Amino acid sequence: MTQPAPSAQHHGPEKGTVTGPAAAPPSKPGGGMRALGLRVDVRNLSLLGVLAVLIAVGGFTEPDAFLDTGNLQLILTQSSVIGVVTVGVTFVIISGGIDLSVGAMVALASVWATTLATQDFGFAGILFTAVIVGLAAGLVNGVLIAYGRMVPFIATLAMLASARGLALQITDGKTQIVTVQSVLDLGLPDSYVLGIPPLVLVFAAVTVAGWLILNRTTFGRRTVAVGGNAEAARLAGIDVRRQRLYLYLLSGLCCGIAAFMLVILSGSGQNTNGNLYELDAIAAAIIGGTLLSGGRGTIVGSVLGVLVFTTITNIFALNNLQSDVQQIAKGAIIVAAVLVQRRTLRGSET
Amino acid sequence: MAPEPPLLTMSGITKSFPGVRALDGVDLEVLAGEVHCLLGQNGAGKSTLIKVLAGAHQPDGGAITWCGEPVQLSSPITAMRLGIATIYQELDLVEGLSVAENVFLGHEPTSAGFVVRTREARTGAAALLGRLGHPEIDPARLVGDLSAAHQQIVSMARALSHDVRLIVMDEPSAALDPDEVDNLFRIVDGLTAEGVAVVYISHRLEEIRRIGDRVTVLKDGRAVSVGLPAKSTPTRDIVAMMTGRNVEYVFPERPGPGVRATAHPVLKVEGLARKGEFEPVDLELRPGEIVGLAGLVGSGRSEILETVYGARRPTAGRVLVDGKPLRAGSVRAAVAAGIGLAPEERKAQALLLTESVTRNVSVSSLSRFARAGWLDRGTEREAARAATRELSLRPDNPEAAVRTLSGGNQQKAVLARWLLRGCRVLLLDEPTRGVDVGARAELYAVIRRLADEGLAVLLVSSEVPEVLGLADRVLVLREGRVVHTADARELDEHRVLDLVMEGSPTS
Amino acid sequence: MPETSRRGLLFGTAAVSAGAFLTACTSNEPKEKAVAQSNQPAADDKPGTPVTIGFAGPQADHGWLNAINVQAKSRAEKYSEVTLEITEGSNDTAAQIGQVKTLINKKVDVLVILPADGKALTQVGLEAMKAGIPVVNLDRIFASPQAYRCWVGGDNYGMGLNAGHYIGEQLKDKANAKVVELAGIDNLELTKQRSQGFADALKNYSNIKLVARQAADFTVESGQAKMAQLLQAQKQFDALWNHDDDQGVGALRAIQQAGRDEFIMVGGAGAKSAMDAIKADDSVLKATVLYPPTMAASAIDLARALGQSKGIAGLSEMEIPTSLTLYSAVVTKENIDQYLPTGFS
Repeated sequence: MTQPAPSAQHHGPEKGTVTGPAAAPPSKPGGGMRALGLRVDVRNLSLLGVLAVLIAVGGFTEPDAFLDTGNLQLILTQSSVIGVVTVGVTFVIISGGIDLSVGAMVALASVWATTLATQDFGFAGILFTAVIVGLAAGLVNGVLIAYGRMVPFIATLAMLASARGLALQITDGKTQIVTVQSVLDLGLPDSYVLGIPPLVLVFAAVTVAGWLILNRTTFGRRTVAVGGNAEAARLAGIDVRRQRLYLYLLSGLCCGIAAFMLVILSGSGQNTNGNLYELDAIAAAIIGGTLLSGGRGTIVGSVLGVLVFTTITNIFALNNLQSDVQQIAKGAIIVAAVLVQRRTLRGSET
Repeated sequence: MAPEPPLLTMSGITKSFPGVRALDGVDLEVLAGEVHCLLGQNGAGKSTLIKVLAGAHQPDGGAITWCGEPVQLSSPITAMRLGIATIYQELDLVEGLSVAENVFLGHEPTSAGFVVRTREARTGAAALLGRLGHPEIDPARLVGDLSAAHQQIVSMARALSHDVRLIVMDEPSAALDPDEVDNLFRIVDGLTAEGVAVVYISHRLEEIRRIGDRVTVLKDGRAVSVGLPAKSTPTRDIVAMMTGRNVEYVFPERPGPGVRATAHPVLKVEGLARKGEFEPVDLELRPGEIVGLAGLVGSGRSEILETVYGARRPTAGRVLVDGKPLRAGSVRAAVAAGIGLAPEERKAQALLLTESVTRNVSVSSLSRFARAGWLDRGTEREAARAATRELSLRPDNPEAAVRTLSGGNQQKAVLARWLLRGCRVLLLDEPTRGVDVGARAELYAVIRRLADEGLAVLLVSSEVPEVLGLADRVLVLREGRVVHTADARELDEHRVLDLVMEGSPTS
Repeated sequence: MPETSRRGLLFGTAAVSAGAFLTACTSNEPKEKAVAQSNQPAADDKPGTPVTIGFAGPQADHGWLNAINVQAKSRAEKYSEVTLEITEGSNDTAAQIGQVKTLINKKVDVLVILPADGKALTQVGLEAMKAGIPVVNLDRIFASPQAYRCWVGGDNYGMGLNAGHYIGEQLKDKANAKVVELAGIDNLELTKQRSQGFADALKNYSNIKLVARQAADFTVESGQAKMAQLLQAQKQFDALWNHDDDQGVGALRAIQQAGRDEFIMVGGAGAKSAMDAIKADDSVLKATVLYPPTMAASAIDLARALGQSKGIAGLSEMEIPTSLTLYSAVVTKENIDQYLPTGFS
């Protein structure tokens, strides 16, 4: 009895017979929203607030450069690669795991997809290789964690080291320039659909797919169950190990897609790609309200977290602030965002 | 000399949380050297009250006097300095530290203010443990390696390591075996003899009769009675005060043998054994039948249940459903064959506490509501709701988070899960643990009704009357062996206790 | 369950063929192999007494560092009497100290050290010198001159200075010219030196103003990201100096994506891709300021000379100089052919 419960729960058996409808269910604020499938999460509201403040700051300090279509395209484009990675990581964290290898997987997939041999196969070869390498690395993570019973932190840390090593071995430290024109073209303004860069479209598609999978499928439900209480999930008949395997595969897949996007964006593959993505992605997910211990989190929150980070960087760059100031302010904003979120959350908890 | 004032007086204490008035003007008076029992259903406000007493919650209103002086319990440290110690139900020990380190955590004997005098701490801890009747606990051992009962002793030693004048014990006997409970009572007697007051919280009325001096009953955040004599107040009155109505500790009628005798067994257990836990067990379970396993903690009763369920891998024997053997050690095979388990540790093993009732109920049947992995949430909610309504789960709100439910309703959510899954064999491990006295009868009725509708039920309980009252057939276990099998009507509590204890070193 | 097994077979086949495809895709061998230009050794190349040279560098995770290794190895191969003991590159200070100590214990004749962190490896350089092993300190300088016999390295300040003067000359007739700087990793001293040299050079041109500066981190990805921000912030400018050609690949990509070409760009370090672009003259990149990886070859020459107690041909000194600062030449379309062979990828 940790939570004092309303007395409505203590009606005895004589009240409301076996199947008859009992007293009207206590109505709950937000019930109508839920029915529409629009779960408006207060945590996300507070992040939207942070984003609004940032936009106000940006618009006030650099009205010309900040508030135009080009900058909106820029912010969204710069969010898209790390955004796709973050969607995958969010699933893993909700399930109670962690994936430290995302940056290394992006690096490995992007360099494998841009070797001269792969480039011979053109667009399809690059896309296929990036996705398959991501999946394969995710599979190794998943097998080690789900069936090898390794702690996710250690297994993915090992993957981080070895994938970076393999990426270095493939490139020999060199920058691999992409010469496949169809890939390069996707990063150029001519390919924009109604003013939206293709990378942003991919990011949007991954976000929507992630949201649907988390909220509308058995897979998403099982992910939350495994993260919320793995033992209960196992005893409820869920194949927890297979679920874990799939989750790391999913994270690998997202990294493969992100690697392809990064190849398009930078027109090259380099073993230093995806530097510190693991920290950026985890930070974005946490700011977005995902519980590091698992069981709770939203895709929308994570995506907002990514957008907040990118917008901060953008505003700093437009104001010509240097790295030192940027880093200090970024740390302060992370703390502020989490504090604001905590307050909002406490205010709404019943 | 004027009569000594009460050690502690709390009057008109109120405390609200967003949306809930947890304490609505509670009065409590505790005398030095008495065992004061605090009774109340889940949600009555007991936890909040003891947190106020421990300084962990600040009351919104009311007054507290300590030895006649008004005090503010503004923090746990303040309470501790006054001599108020609390032993919570979920023990707050650090498993990775030794017994001595736990006992003196936060007030270690030190040299120069920071060097811990380890030997002194160990001697001190050993003295306290000896005073508690457990000199055999080694102060140097890691707390994580101790049994639950010993951990509780360490928790008490920690309380006594302060100059304590009032100890609050929150359901101290919940995790203990009968002989350990006896030891606990000896300790309580010893403390009160030294003038220490004990506030004792328990669901078990018989314990309150044995050691209590006075009783305060809480209901819906109010004290409905203050300081009643614990030994002489009739049970019926106490239950009535707790629940606001008269209930008997009633079990539902057993139907006649009828169908059951002729039906084919749905579950067959053949020579099932796990080395070191229990010896080969044979068991048949027919639709409509409730079979009980009676035994002490450690007799292998829960282990048998979990092995049947596939959560533990047997070292010998097999489990058959409808004559077909199940893959050994596979929960998924058991669930697929129609077996469901309501485990002992409901919160840790069954529930997704922060999730809604619907999601908790549907979690084992998700694929039923999905096409190609895509959930039809409308159907899911309706089906889950039908199941919870059939069990009269309160509140009737599919979106309520399971953690806000009372113990009995949480158990119903677990049962609804298996009802929805369409399971045919239900394994119940301590189904009424943590369930209010008033809500138990209702749960018994639900279990019996499920059996009447054709479910086969295998029941484990440490409360012998529960097994005898609910089951049709009873298997008595001692030290991993079935020592007796009989119709429940042919047994009584004394007989079962004799069987359970017979030859065991403690009797 | 035929369904499952067929599915399994399908997946199996797919997995195997994907695996086969992927293993074939790790190759980076170009179709027609370019023959590496061999430049003549600067020192006396008559075989002398045998010399064992120990070489310890950081992990070659970057084009320029990779070129350093290649230069050192290929130069050592040219001398029949030189044996090169090369360690696994490491960015970890402790690991590199261990590697140098191993080389000392092996009693190599001369050491060439490119420290991951110059200050942190000073102690082990002193140790080697005390053990009687002359140390050639390559590029990142030790804290004490006692820790090396000879230092050879690039001139970061000079890089900035030369880039600034080149841009200044190009824009000298333009009123109110705007210049943008894309720097390297900001917490490296060399970045500060490059920026300082650049700023000092620009002071000579009163018509030019440095309007924006952002720091990337030597990677293509960061180059693209930071350049995109700079382009958004500055709607029009006249010249850009980018500290590093590797991140320049990303910067050029961002410029292409923004569709901008109103300015000239000057690179840094001297990567092959940058030199190719300068030669082709089809982008904003018009020049790059060298930070030549050939210094590793020179270090091997110096080490050999030290090991054989010789001077340098062409100098009248009896002894090898204690320090040798290389000139950061500006490579443009006019002189590109001379430098193209030293471009690294």
